[in-house]
Amino acid sequence: MGKVTIDDIAIEVPDGTNLMEAARKAGVEIPHFCYHPGLSVVAQCRMCLVDITGIPKVQPACNSFAKDGMIVNTQNEKVKEAQRAVMEFLLINHPLDCPICDQAGECKLQDNSFGYGQGGSRYTISKRQYPGFDRTAIGPHVVADMTRCIQCTRCIRFCQEISETGELSFQERGGRTLVWTHEGRPLDNEMSACAADVCPVGALTVKEFRFRARVWYLEKANSICAGCDVGCNVTVESKDKIAYRFLPRQNFSVNDHWMCDYGRFLVEDFNRRDVKAPRRRATRDGDPAGSFETISFDAAIDAAAASLLAAKESKKRIVIVAPASLPTEALWLAKKLAVEALGSAEIVTFIPKGEKPHRVKNQKTWAEGIEGVPNGAGARLLGLAESTNLLPEKGGNPEVVLVVDGDLASLSQDPNLVKNLRKARTLIVLARLDSQLTAAADLVFPLAPHTESEGTFVNGRRRLQRFDRAFLPLDGNRPAWELLSRIGRLFGEGFSFVTAAAVFEAMSAAVPSLGGITFPSIGSEGISLEPKTAGAAPDPKPAPEEKKN
Amino acid sequence: MGALVVNRSGSKAEGARREFSPAARARFDETLKRYPTRQAALLPALWIAQEEFGWISKETVEYVAGLLNLTPAYVDGVVTFYTMYHREPVGRTVLQVCSSISCHLCGAQSLLLLIEKKLGIKPNETTADGAFTLQEVECIAACDGGPALIRGEDILLGIDEKKLDQIIAEGRGK
Amino acid sequence: MAKFEPILTAQISDPRQKSIDTYLKKGGYEGLKKALSLNPDEVTAQVKASGLRGRGGAGFPCGVKWGFVPKNTGNPIYLLCNADESEPGTFKDRLIIENDPHQIIEGIAIASYALGVRTAYIYIRGEMYLGAKVLNAAIAECYQKGILGPRVHGSEFALDLHVHRGAGAYICGEETALIESLEGKRGQPRIKPPFPAIKGVFGCPTVVNNVETLACLPHIFTRGVDWFTSIGVPKGTGPKLYCISGHVNRPGVYELPMGVNLKELIDEHAGGMKGGKLKAVIPGGASAPVLTADEIDVALDFDSLAARGTMLGSAAVIVMNDTTCMVNTTVNLLKFFAHESCGQCTPCREGTPWSYRLLSRIEEGGGSLADLDLLLGIARNMSNGMTICVFGDAAAAPIQSFIKKFRTEFEEHIAGRTCHGLVEPSPSPNHSALPGSMPAAISVRS
Repeated sequence: MGKVTIDDIAIEVPDGTNLMEAARKAGVEIPHFCYHPGLSVVAQCRMCLVDITGIPKVQPACNSFAKDGMIVNTQNEKVKEAQRAVMEFLLINHPLDCPICDQAGECKLQDNSFGYGQGGSRYTISKRQYPGFDRTAIGPHVVADMTRCIQCTRCIRFCQEISETGELSFQERGGRTLVWTHEGRPLDNEMSACAADVCPVGALTVKEFRFRARVWYLEKANSICAGCDVGCNVTVESKDKIAYRFLPRQNFSVNDHWMCDYGRFLVEDFNRRDVKAPRRRATRDGDPAGSFETISFDAAIDAAAASLLAAKESKKRIVIVAPASLPTEALWLAKKLAVEALGSAEIVTFIPKGEKPHRVKNQKTWAEGIEGVPNGAGARLLGLAESTNLLPEKGGNPEVVLVVDGDLASLSQDPNLVKNLRKARTLIVLARLDSQLTAAADLVFPLAPHTESEGTFVNGRRRLQRFDRAFLPLDGNRPAWELLSRIGRLFGEGFSFVTAAAVFEAMSAAVPSLGGITFPSIGSEGISLEPKTAGAAPDPKPAPEEKKN
Repeated sequence: MGALVVNRSGSKAEGARREFSPAARARFDETLKRYPTRQAALLPALWIAQEEFGWISKETVEYVAGLLNLTPAYVDGVVTFYTMYHREPVGRTVLQVCSSISCHLCGAQSLLLLIEKKLGIKPNETTADGAFTLQEVECIAACDGGPALIRGEDILLGIDEKKLDQIIAEGRGK
Repeated sequence: MAKFEPILTAQISDPRQKSIDTYLKKGGYEGLKKALSLNPDEVTAQVKASGLRGRGGAGFPCGVKWGFVPKNTGNPIYLLCNADESEPGTFKDRLIIENDPHQIIEGIAIASYALGVRTAYIYIRGEMYLGAKVLNAAIAECYQKGILGPRVHGSEFALDLHVHRGAGAYICGEETALIESLEGKRGQPRIKPPFPAIKGVFGCPTVVNNVETLACLPHIFTRGVDWFTSIGVPKGTGPKLYCISGHVNRPGVYELPMGVNLKELIDEHAGGMKGGKLKAVIPGGASAPVLTADEIDVALDFDSLAARGTMLGSAAVIVMNDTTCMVNTTVNLLKFFAHESCGQCTPCREGTPWSYRLLSRIEEGGGSLADLDLLLGIARNMSNGMTICVFGDAAAAPIQSFIKKFRTEFEEHIAGRTCHGLVEPSPSPNHSALPGSMPAAISVRS
């Protein structure tokens, strides 16, 4: 360890710490473009130049390393002159695209120009053009505009070091340098949109998001991807109850700075709303010709409770199906409903087939997903038995089956499954999207996706992770925990939960492996439930420094 | 004074997959032995390819990339960084006229204009009969013989009109 | 002064000099034998004592550079011979490469022995087709005769040497860009630290030496350190190859003791001025600040020129007579830098074409006086640590020195008055040495 002074702020850091990270620790902002904590260092943009006492020339902070006694100045005239010079050079050929550029509002060029630039232009000749290399898709998800590029190589380094696919390279040289693909080999890999994330300007943008929203109007919520059991941390950005994009959220214990395209582009799916109000089939006994009528929540809850109560009292078979794509709170309540409220109802969980796990790069290694659902570990932690054919044959056809379909409506993908479930005399379904399952049901409740409530998932590495609510549910949709609570309440005590956090607290008290963790104590990076660190949030590991080869 | 327009010359596609002849492959294999990494053989491999095929096409880039376990985009980046790899077919004789300061002081620009007039092409163009490609290059280390040029592989010094006519005649005869 | 007997270029005009038999017959590879009889550290010590400074342009003391290499890392150590000679006005290395290749190979072998190198490379620019052929032939002869291979000159020392051809990039003469190019990459200079002596090619300790520097080594060992230090000036020892070109009667390479007077070089060796009176001289390649006719009474050694605010560099003396337009010259120099910038870092990538275009505009009678201050500002912003390598400083030097010393010519061009020179028309700034065609574009709005 050594003492480093940055702008008169003294900090203790290990010798060899990258000055960019040391400055971050000291709370000093050093403007930069090409530096990225998850990528190798190239020191090309020259924006991070600082003055180190004892060295006559300005030095790039990203390629300077802490040494005991080092004194760094980022505010003197020498540094300011360097910053103004670099900003001037970057802006001379940059198009005045801000009014039509998606990056506006989260653009490093805007921010650094405003903070460190010279505020005027001495450039009186024409700007560089790249005909044929602007406003062009270079892959299924990424649009490139070379006129905006500042040649920082973050995208190139991402493709080489993180996705390991190498689709992008620097081409030509000097003032003609551009970034491009090889013709016929587009930027098409499992995490291609991350290349647009790392681009500090609008040279690479995400096609799906293009022109749809101004980023400063978007509200942000911490969430967890529901695509598989890797459990990438994401940010849901929304406006007026529409989710516009998922972005990866930094977590050095799970997904570093990245997420895969599959998870990212689930966002549009989450905006779909087919079932908006409770509905009941007008006829009884599963007559498929019966039409649906919309009913009130109270009527629906009453109808569900009535069927369940009747079945319970006549000791007929009741099955509750709660797939492992549900948040832990919903799974626990489903079990509680089955075991406590309904006596000896069966509760099964289900890992829908056909959902593939994905993977993400965490620092230098691939974190491979094992299951294609976000909460298999959560289900197992609660002791839920997994069933593959969904309805064990013993006991004959059930009287009532209550099914909660997950965010991605995976249960309903398999028609055999639906046929199986339809053997119940009364089929109650909680769902968001219309499917064969909802068409076959007797009673349907409108389900909200996990993003419209708080809750938790336990990922494949047994990390308990919390998601916050992006916005209140739309229309009549309600989160699973709330619907299950309301049904349970009609059977007695123990279901009077008003918030998901309250459900979690009750669950945490009741389930030994959760050890009484409180909901607020689950920080934004989650808690590992692996035995040796149970109950304590591990320090997030800083990404190791990488120098350019 | 013109605009800075980057019309990139990506390696043109020629539609045919090319492979090294056995002799070229043997040279390539021998070259690999000289370096501890495969990647270090890239520039030599591209030279072998240019000698074999005359120029570096999109397909050649993919072939060389495959030989060295590199991505085609990476090889594109190397091919386009250096000026001597041809990215489209060139004439039978390539004339590279030096335009750096010493040759410039000795009349390089006049020479270039004279060549343009005699051949009817501008730099980076090829004559219609496929005889000549003209390029303007920087210092070729022949400064005591300015104006100088490279004809094919030969550095030729002190190019006056007489020598130029001889070069053109020899090139047309090829 | 007594006529200096050349050493490095003594055998240049013998067409058989390229053959190893001739080279050996004339006492070649004796210097290597002598070096092999010492232990490697003694070899380095002698090179240090000789005061030999790098002949590529930087003038760094060779023995000191060798001393930076750690020999106990467990990694192989590499020696790279920099034969990428591309500095405008420089043609001395090509002379030796094409006519006396064994002198270079002997120098490489001596250096490799001192450093503990097992495999060395000669990085030769792609344009030197003949040079590469000559070197490859000479290397083959060396293997046949046991000068290269598992037992160099019958000793325990083993050395392999390969020629690696560049493909057209001036920047590959910069040692870290050379290393990148050797590794099969774009020739983009590396950020330092780490320095090549510690972590160079293939991640191993590496020394890069210029052709002429290496060519001096055999003679240091055959004739002795004292002989070497007796030539030249105290801080610039040994014989030096001076290139002189431009408006002189006898342009060429002249081997003279380091520190010859510039005026003497022009008048007595290069046959004096051609086509007009002397107006300006660039003493050391495109990045050396220009000297006016009043300033040519200066010794051509590293320190004397540095004291005059310029540099010896690659000893490329470029002479201009009074028919030369200084603005036109500056435009030509910046065209060079704009073409050769690697494009990695912001100040140089943006600054070199910007200054080239501003200067072109001035030459054509456009621009304003404010452009001169703007150009000086751009030059300042490309220098002194703003860039990854000194290419930025190199591009800045002609802007600063020509505007400083010939400001009136720039002002007259801006005012639209007659140009001073029998001006050569400049190529248009959009000019590129690269073949061009437009690929098909894919519209995103389909």
